[in-house]
Amino acid sequence: MAKKILIVDDDPNIISYLTDFFGDNGYETCSAMDGSEAMGIVKKEKPDLITLDLEMPEEWGPRFFRKLMKEKEYSKIPVIVISGLTGAKYAIQKAVASIHKPFDRDELLKIVEESIA
Amino acid sequence: MFPGTKILLVDQDEELRSSLEVFLERLGFDVISTGKAEIAFTEIQKDHPAVVMSGNQLEDMPGIQLLRRLRREYPQIEMILVVDEGDISTGVEGLRLGASDYIHKPVNSEALQVLLKRALDRREKGFLIQRYRKNYESVNRNKILLQQLFDSVPCYISLQDENFRLTGANKRFKEDFGDYLGSHCYEVYKHRSEPCISCPVEATFHDGEPHQTEEVVTSQSGEQYNVLTWTAPLRDVSGKITQVMEMSTNITQIRKLEGHLTSLGLLLGSMSHGIRGLLTALDGGIYRLETGIEKGEQERIDGALETVKATIQRIRSMVLDILYYTKDRELNWTRVNVLDFANQVAGLIRPKAEKYNIAFQYDFHQADTFFEIDAGLLSSALVNILENSIDACIDDRSSDKSYEVIFNITVNKDHVVFEAIDNGTGMDRQMRENLFTLFFSSKGYRGTGLGLFIANQVVEQHGGTIDVTSELGKGSCFRINVPKVIPEDVKYAKDCGKEDNT
Repeated sequence: MAKKILIVDDDPNIISYLTDFFGDNGYETCSAMDGSEAMGIVKKEKPDLITLDLEMPEEWGPRFFRKLMKEKEYSKIPVIVISGLTGAKYAIQKAVASIHKPFDRDELLKIVEESIA
Repeated sequence: MFPGTKILLVDQDEELRSSLEVFLERLGFDVISTGKAEIAFTEIQKDHPAVVMSGNQLEDMPGIQLLRRLRREYPQIEMILVVDEGDISTGVEGLRLGASDYIHKPVNSEALQVLLKRALDRREKGFLIQRYRKNYESVNRNKILLQQLFDSVPCYISLQDENFRLTGANKRFKEDFGDYLGSHCYEVYKHRSEPCISCPVEATFHDGEPHQTEEVVTSQSGEQYNVLTWTAPLRDVSGKITQVMEMSTNITQIRKLEGHLTSLGLLLGSMSHGIRGLLTALDGGIYRLETGIEKGEQERIDGALETVKATIQRIRSMVLDILYYTKDRELNWTRVNVLDFANQVAGLIRPKAEKYNIAFQYDFHQADTFFEIDAGLLSSALVNILENSIDACIDDRSSDKSYEVIFNITVNKDHVVFEAIDNGTGMDRQMRENLFTLFFSSKGYRGTGLGLFIANQVVEQHGGTIDVTSELGKGSCFRINVPKVIPEDVKYAKDCGKEDNT
């Protein structure tokens, strides 16, 4: 069964980008526009991996991440931070990787594959 | 008595010469002796005697003549003239021509000894005077040089006493701050009536050390300068500090440039997040376009094209905002009909309102009048504000209420008032207060935090104001007051290009 990736980003252009890109590489996807919405989708869709933007209008990435870590069931889901904030490397230390926009999609794919092989 | 001092003896009377020679040698002189003036000069050139003692009858010329030539060519050599007994007139003539003395024949040895001593003293004093004069001249030259340096250093230099009274100032200081010796530093520099709180001059008087501060001073003509100030103590011979020198370098231009660079850096720094997002969106658009074409999926191609177009539009407006911000602009004003202007602005907004199904209404019935504006700038400011009104409606996901944006114009005696009213999201107090702050944005990936900041600047530049009332969940009202006539100082600040536009 195809693994499922949750894409959290407030920019719909980036969501459609990642949706198509992951889809083209054999992954299922779902998406959320900000942190508060994301939590509901995690519960509903139970993704295998999450890509997370940091700066979003309603709820920022780090706060969502803290909530996620408190839920035993979901705290093991690997999170990849994809952010336009430089120096964001340490914003979420437990993330499996932190990459900057604009990113190299092949590199992203490699990280995804390694995380949910 | 005179060991090793060279003396030249000239007289045609050889016997006299040899007896004098014996006497002089006994006194320790190194004697050269000749009867001819010509030979005398050869000897002088060779041996540089300190004193020439000459009779008035030489083999080839009178002694007086030798004296003349000696004075002309060797002013540093003293000469004693030996005249015949009773010949006072030759003696006096000799004195007049510059002989140090004269003595009668027969030569009295004690008198001669006195004369020789006086001649040598005189010579010594002559040297001293010459040396002093040279020193004096060089001191004087240095003084002029120092004065020139003092006046032309690219700094303001002033000297102050313990009461901060100016006791001296260089030319630059006088040019920019006036020539007011005796007045207080704080009056001249800062137009204050009492000493400054942390005065570097006071500190230097106190501890004798140099001190440095940065100050803002006001020139005679009312201009403000940023200056970097150094102080140094000036001490008298006993080491007591009598005055303090204050040297100020004008760094206004550096500070201005720095301010501009800082805000430019701040600008780019805080926009980098937005720019990175845009580049990623563009990457995504291109990826989806390529893969859409590969797969022949029309839906993906259409979506991708939409993304690319929208993203490029956002990049364009961001770049234009940056360009606007990085340039100091002056108003390029003209007299404009308010109605024409408002119709133009409405025309730019209508398509966006229609696209999102938002009712766009306007009332321009009062607008048939003229006002002075920079139409390009003010139009972009109003479009920005109205677009925000539309965005506020788009962003409001609360209900299925029908959204509307109203654009009204009222005209009173001096002002034209534009109103942009929406029934969208509305704002809380914090948002309202930060609305016109640089880099504040509530629009997530869509905002740069520049738009309203610039709109506000444009309106202020026109001498106008923006008032905002808003309630969360109900909507907002922006009221833009623009004076009909641009204030004189704004017009005045404009460059001479004005004539081309009016």
